[in-house]
Amino acid sequence: MLVLLFKNFIRSKGTKIGLLFLLIIGFISLLIGRQFQKKQQNNIDEAAIYQKEHMARNAAFHKDEIGLLLYYIKFSLVNNTLPISSLAIGQRDVNPSIQSVTIRGLEAQKYDSELNNPSNLLSGNIDFSFVLLYLFPLLIIAFSYNIISEEKESGTWKIVATQSPNTFLYILKLFYIRILSLIGLLSFILLIAVFLLEIPIDKAFILFYGIAVLYILFWFAVCFFIVSLQKNSNFNAVILLTIWLFLIIILPAGINTYIINKYKVPEALELTLTQRNAYHEKWDMDKQQTLNKFYKHYPQFKHYNLPESEFSWLWYYAMQQMGDDESAIQSKELESKLEQRNNTSEWIAQFIPTLHTQIQLNEIAKSDLRNQLLFLKETNKFHEKLRLHFYPKIFDNAAVNQQKWETFKVETFHDKSETSYVKAFLPLLLFNLVLIGFGWRNFKR
Amino acid sequence: MKLLHKEILIARHFKNAVFKNSAIYIITLFIGALLLFAAFSGWDNYKSQNETSEKYQHESREDWLKNPDKNPHRMAHYGNFAFRKSTSLSVFEFGMEPFFGNAIFLEAHKQNTANFSEAGFSNSMLRFGEISIAMVLQVLLPLLIFFVGFNSVAYERENGTLKILLSQGINWKQFLFGKILGIASVVMLLFVPTIIVLVLIWLLLQSFSISADETIKMLLFVGFHFIYLMFFCVVAVLVSASSKTSKKALVSLIGIWLILTIILPRTTQAIGAYLYEAPSKIRFNSDIEKDILKQGDSHNPNDVHYKAIKDSLLRVYKVDSVQKLPFNYSGFIMTEGERISSNIYNKHLEDLLKIYEKQNSFSKAVSFVNPYIAMKNLSMGLSNTDYDSYIDFQQQAENYRYNMAQKMNALQIKYISNKKPGPKDKPLTIDKRHWAIIEEFHYEPKPVWEVLKSEITAVISILLWIILLFVLIKIAAKNLKAI
Repeated sequence: MLVLLFKNFIRSKGTKIGLLFLLIIGFISLLIGRQFQKKQQNNIDEAAIYQKEHMARNAAFHKDEIGLLLYYIKFSLVNNTLPISSLAIGQRDVNPSIQSVTIRGLEAQKYDSELNNPSNLLSGNIDFSFVLLYLFPLLIIAFSYNIISEEKESGTWKIVATQSPNTFLYILKLFYIRILSLIGLLSFILLIAVFLLEIPIDKAFILFYGIAVLYILFWFAVCFFIVSLQKNSNFNAVILLTIWLFLIIILPAGINTYIINKYKVPEALELTLTQRNAYHEKWDMDKQQTLNKFYKHYPQFKHYNLPESEFSWLWYYAMQQMGDDESAIQSKELESKLEQRNNTSEWIAQFIPTLHTQIQLNEIAKSDLRNQLLFLKETNKFHEKLRLHFYPKIFDNAAVNQQKWETFKVETFHDKSETSYVKAFLPLLLFNLVLIGFGWRNFKR
Repeated sequence: MKLLHKEILIARHFKNAVFKNSAIYIITLFIGALLLFAAFSGWDNYKSQNETSEKYQHESREDWLKNPDKNPHRMAHYGNFAFRKSTSLSVFEFGMEPFFGNAIFLEAHKQNTANFSEAGFSNSMLRFGEISIAMVLQVLLPLLIFFVGFNSVAYERENGTLKILLSQGINWKQFLFGKILGIASVVMLLFVPTIIVLVLIWLLLQSFSISADETIKMLLFVGFHFIYLMFFCVVAVLVSASSKTSKKALVSLIGIWLILTIILPRTTQAIGAYLYEAPSKIRFNSDIEKDILKQGDSHNPNDVHYKAIKDSLLRVYKVDSVQKLPFNYSGFIMTEGERISSNIYNKHLEDLLKIYEKQNSFSKAVSFVNPYIAMKNLSMGLSNTDYDSYIDFQQQAENYRYNMAQKMNALQIKYISNKKPGPKDKPLTIDKRHWAIIEEFHYEPKPVWEVLKSEITAVISILLWIILLFVLIKIAAKNLKAI
């Protein structure tokens, strides 16, 4: 019986076209993912080469003045891209994955954006998460909206009802073969992904796969529930598409608009102005005052006294430091606003399966806002480390050729945060159970 | 009036039938609520965006003028900001705005990136899109039209009433036009109030003092959306008329909607981005740096290019060292350096923008097959939230930056003594009143003719669509069968 039902399902022209379409676009999404991966890798390679050349050239030019040299040279920090990121690119196309900074004021450099074509950003990537989130549900709806209604409308339902001992079991079987074929397709695409994108099969991948399966089941549960209402095909199609529209477009977009309007970030602009003034005004202020502030921040450098000359690198870097120190409040505020944005959206997302799936997939792939905020924090640490290393050298005017420039390689930040199974799976699981429960009850009536 | 009598009768009848279904009230109410939400959040967003950008633009201007006497080169590094301001139509069409950087720091020697885009501060939720009036008009209303119109003809065919109607002296053309009018009259119940609210908000935002340019943009915005929606009414009726059953009509229409509004826009842009790969920021910057070094490095005393300049200056002024020149030599060299580096930067930027345009060319070309993309591009253009407007903003900012840097260099050449102060001397300064020669940055959005010029593909394709639909109605009227 099951085999016959399966043959009947797979032989239909619509089914074949639908599955083939999804397979092809799934494969295309992997190619796009691979291009993304290569581009990231290229960027890192280029950054490493550039840093080496750039340091060597500048060290040769400014061999007498280490303070001047460090005015110019940039050090890069890379936000590590996992292979699995190629499946859910998320915000990685918007945010730069490499920060290149000099040891001057960080606040003026930290938010430098990536070079981007805004048209690409607006339309978004066709990564695997898009295929899963948008297109799988459409096929699921197309496969199941007319599960009973079609037979009722064509008059074959009565035959089924009289010939099959348990019509409910029959309906379950119809769903079973559809679920099996789509999960089969999902697994197949992800299997190709494992080889094509060299994704290791670790906890992250299992989480990713688990969420994908649960998400597909969620849409089947929705269809199961709607079918259980036993309306006609047109009604089912309209209602299912409306649900799709709500979950994929209207609710996420509405919530996003709400969050953006609720947590506005004028701090960003204020931060840049404050930072600029805090640094520049020091040129026209008493030097000793600036230095006193600097000593307060770094008591370990107290023994470096202000030289008598009009210009000194000690004073210069103290001024730069003040740009950061005096805009620290705004910087903190901006950071906490962004954290609030992220937390609020994650909290709301628990109640909207599509949003939850998207946010979780990006969290696993380390391509979400959380990862970006961690990367910015790490940039702070990276920058501070460089400062502490070079400040005494500059103040002593250490010889440029005595420094081991070649040891300053591009560094990499690994986001170690882990996603828990419960947090990832529970919301989807609950939705599935509730929908199936209600559908079951409707059928039993 | 007599002429359209039958059509109007059919339309009225259809409208009454639609409103017999209670679901339409719920949907209408819901879309109405959504439109209100979109209008208010758009308004809120626009106001806060412009208030902040105006506030900080103003503040940074005051800061600039407040600077005490100093060396003009210090001022060139103090720099200015270009904050992006939105146009009033962007309340209704956000376009690419969330992905635009909102502030560019403008200083000497260096072209900074436009930073602080909304997207950089959002999580991936943003990628689902945003709710704006334009989104409701362009994405949701067409679907509503399809839901209302899928059984406009097919249902009458299934019922057998089609035969009766056609045998009573109504011809296909009248029948189709009647149905189109019927659907249109349902949609207009949403569209007309929306437009009225839209115009009111728009007037209010500009305190009722509107410019001709803005008015034309607004009229075009409304007009094109009207044509766009009519297009979907016609498609709904044509598909319904050529489908055997209403179910088939519904499925085909849903398919058309999905392809036009969801699948094609993403795919075409993705194809463009896949085929034409743009360089990374690191590559872009290091290429520029290399080219500048090739041209000449002003830091290197033995550089050929700068040595030639030096020698010719010495010859013309008949002196033996640059210190004896009658003007500030390093100011002169910086002017030359700025000119060279910004020429090179602009050349590289041009190349980069060419790649971007190639990426976008697919989407632009697809306007001919996809009226959604044509409409989207046009409405983004009219509200100055499209790609070209953004590039225009960046270009205006760069022109301002170059001008500022060179004016500061000119001040240095003219007023700063050519004799370098000793290590313990006070630095050379000029009076602070000079700072006012730099005007405040003011972004001028593209005027309507420029917009239409850059979105000409969209305009032409919409015109072609109108013609095509009339032709299709004609063909359909001839060939359709009642059974």
